[in-house]
Amino acid sequence: MSEHHITPLKTYLAVAGTLFFLTAVTVWVSYFDFGSFNIIIAMGVATMKASIVALFFMHLLWDDKKNLTMFVMSLMFLGIFITVTLLDTGFRGGVNSEVEYPINNRATFYDSLPLTDTHGHPVDEHSADQHGEDEDHH
Amino acid sequence: MSHDNSSPKFLQHHFHDVEQQYETAKLGMWAFILTEVLTFGGLFVAYVVYRSWYPEMFVGANLLLDVNKGLLNTIVLITSSLTMVLAVWAIQKKNQKLSLFMLIATFLFAFMFLGIKYLEYSHKFEVGQLPGEYYSYMGPEIAHLNNPHIFFSIYFIMTGLHGLHVAIGMGLIAWLIYATAKGNLNSEYYTPMEMIGIFWHLVDLIWIYLFPLFYLI
Repeated sequence: MSEHHITPLKTYLAVAGTLFFLTAVTVWVSYFDFGSFNIIIAMGVATMKASIVALFFMHLLWDDKKNLTMFVMSLMFLGIFITVTLLDTGFRGGVNSEVEYPINNRATFYDSLPLTDTHGHPVDEHSADQHGEDEDHH
Repeated sequence: MSHDNSSPKFLQHHFHDVEQQYETAKLGMWAFILTEVLTFGGLFVAYVVYRSWYPEMFVGANLLLDVNKGLLNTIVLITSSLTMVLAVWAIQKKNQKLSLFMLIATFLFAFMFLGIKYLEYSHKFEVGQLPGEYYSYMGPEIAHLNNPHIFFSIYFIMTGLHGLHVAIGMGLIAWLIYATAKGNLNSEYYTPMEMIGIFWHLVDLIWIYLFPLFYLI
């Protein structure tokens, strides 16, 4: 199989370097609040990284183009899947306002959940008393 | 059967020549990748739909995940992708020893990824940030949010299925280590290594989306 394209080592190292750089960018950017652009920026950077992985690491750039076509087709169908589903779930209120948020009520099991601290241990309003009782047990 | 005596022993009789066998394997691999994209695609649709229904809850709940561990896992997985591609590069360059070394490195990075994931999961089990009805975490930063158990249902299913892919990938890479050490794979015939490499890069590619979706935004 000597006729196969052998990518130079430099290319692979440059690709990995770019991926690390874009990872740093996406984490750094996440500390700023751009409102609804947060998602667009994060997905844009992720798509740049994914394209680099597919083209260079997965060799699609040098492959027979039928493989790239298949991969892009799968993404196109995923796009259709997302779009058509959102056309339903995003516009339910337009037909009948009662079904706009069919599942937006809080699940009933939350009614019986006690408030917890950041370690997941239950706390209640008399947290001072609770603390005293805890000490008695020890 | 039509092959003459000079054809290599790895060429199976139903293929015309080595090149056709290689291209067929690759096309089959990409057909598999297509089904993988659609499998994960269903879960991405679930994420998008629930995020559109509960925008504030998703923004609040992702703050409960540890960005540092997610970032570390991203770096580990990108590095493992690089070592995987270098394993294929080395065997193309007839350097089986380097290829073996890179495969072992890839295996260890995959193990590291699952180790970090285990630390994350065990913390979530401890504090009750669990899917569906098993959810019990009502900490001050999240008690006012609506239905955070949905975020953790999607988080555990997506990262769990991804983790399963990492584990399967480790098994495949272990087999590659064995086959390369035995000399069954060489610069003439390395198709399995390249195909498993494509699978491994897909695992990396999916994590590239999971990381910002769950940890950053």
